[in-house]
Amino acid sequence: MPTASLSLAPVEEEVTSVEEVVSPDLPWVTIVWNDPVNLMTYVTWVFESYFAYPRTKAEKLMMDVHLKGRAVVSHGPRESMERDAEALQGYGLWATFEKDS
Amino acid sequence: MARAFLRESEGLVALLDDGERTILSGLMQQTRVLLSPEIEPTGDAFDDLVASMGVSLAADQGASGADAPHRDPALDRLLPTAHRGDDEVAAEFRRLTEEGLRQRKSSNLDVAIDRVAAASEDRVVLDDASAPAFLIALTDVRLLLGERMGMRTEEDAEALHAAMETIADDDPLGYAMAWYDFLTWLQETLAHALMGDGDDGDDGDDV
Repeated sequence: MPTASLSLAPVEEEVTSVEEVVSPDLPWVTIVWNDPVNLMTYVTWVFESYFAYPRTKAEKLMMDVHLKGRAVVSHGPRESMERDAEALQGYGLWATFEKDS
Repeated sequence: MARAFLRESEGLVALLDDGERTILSGLMQQTRVLLSPEIEPTGDAFDDLVASMGVSLAADQGASGADAPHRDPALDRLLPTAHRGDDEVAAEFRRLTEEGLRQRKSSNLDVAIDRVAAASEDRVVLDDASAPAFLIALTDVRLLLGERMGMRTEEDAEALHAAMETIADDDPLGYAMAWYDFLTWLQETLAHALMGDGDDGDDGDDV
């Protein structure tokens, strides 16, 4: 039963900032986008060389890029995804990183 | 007439005649000029890394990178935005990475230009160290050439190839397209040779 008393104590409410609603641990992803220049063989080679992915996985990701227009090629903390995106851009692929959704 | 890259005892070898080497080298040099870093690579990976960090930190005032007033649009293809949807994140990433990327790409192109120049009896010979650099350099040259021809989507590429059927002999676009296709073929054969295809030759990957 509530008692009607005057209190100067701060109202304790669950205040959650927008930033905290989105889990800070949510993994980030690196995405490779399709482009008309990069060859299927070359893209497969890049995934094998950089990620050391086996041929079958590299080819599957390459086909996803080719047919779906984009593929998530790695996920993890933001710093790692920035590193992956930078490395893949070094290979000439159109790579971006973003928070997974 | 050119012969594709094949694995031989010396390494990966292609046969390119004088004219082909001159054009290839010229295109690589043009790409190299566009990508030139503020501090030229020294060949020492550690020195280059330290040097590029200095430039990244100095680039704070937005006078370089994507904000520069006269930035060549082709650079947006060679050094694309790394974050779609958040310009601030993208700009920060570019500030921190662009100089390093320019250095790495330039150094790949330097290796490739050197291998073309070193050809003897039309033989362009690559070893395990220079082959990946050559392969990546070919990508950047093709990206630049593609961008110059307006090839930004698959539809653009199809339209360009279709236009070749009726194009006038003296149209520079036809000339550019012919070299683009030549580089595509050369890169395809190098990628296959590097990946050791032939033992699992069931993939007929094409553009």
